[in-house]
Amino acid sequence: MISLKACLTFSAVLFGVGLFGALTRRHAVIVLISIEVMLNAANLNFIAFWRFNPHPEAMAGPLFVIFNIAIAAAEAAVGLALVIAVYRSLRSVNLEKVDSLKG
Amino acid sequence: MTVAFYILAGLCVAGALCAMVVRNLVYAVFSMIFFFFSLAGIYVLLLAEFVAAAQVLVYVGGVGILVLFAIMLTRDVTGEGKRHMASKGAWLGGLVAVAVPLALFIPAVWRTPLPESPANAAVRATPVEIGMALMGGGVPALWLVSVLLTAALIGAVVIATQDPPGPGEGEGPAR
Repeated sequence: MISLKACLTFSAVLFGVGLFGALTRRHAVIVLISIEVMLNAANLNFIAFWRFNPHPEAMAGPLFVIFNIAIAAAEAAVGLALVIAVYRSLRSVNLEKVDSLKG
Repeated sequence: MTVAFYILAGLCVAGALCAMVVRNLVYAVFSMIFFFFSLAGIYVLLLAEFVAAAQVLVYVGGVGILVLFAIMLTRDVTGEGKRHMASKGAWLGGLVAVAVPLALFIPAVWRTPLPESPANAAVRATPVEIGMALMGGGVPALWLVSVLLTAALIGAVVIATQDPPGPGEGEGPAR
């Protein structure tokens, strides 16, 4: 049987992979992909805790995950619109070039 | 079932790692889509089938296609990739990204006494139950998410379709 420890460890590893991509790459779209990976790791955590624990509120896990999926999709849409807008004025998606506010 | 879990978990981590590391951007997006599919398989193993279906519909069908469109619109796909891909402080970022799960999450998980078998395998998240929960106590959350989605999508359209002002068209329709 799957154990809760295995699920949570796997979710922690996924979060670390997403964090690695977000902190390492300088391409804006790859950073957005990394954020989606991190959000999916959190969703997996929710579902794992919902499945493995006795609880009176039976639908809290999937409900939270559905709202999280919706919010992640909206955030991806806004983030990609920002990438397109930045590309239009800077002609680059390199995050190191987006520094016009730098003092 | 444990074997299936480990296979799917390995596929998930492999897909996510390839999406972070690969030089070609379209391959990275395809790897991310593969990761979403594998994670939906794990949701099915954890007996959350509706969430697995929602994951495939929204993430693969929505977010994946959206990222592909954004790549096609910012068409510098492999131009910058001729040099290195990593940002300036990438070694520090990689260190933090490896240290945070290893030092924080995984010890916290391994030291807590956790239940071994699913306690309530009889509770199934069928669409009927989710619908009752949403329309019952979850109505304010449903309103807020719908307002947020509307605002986010309208805002995304506004941000993405603004034209930068040209040199001779500052006045616009007054001409």
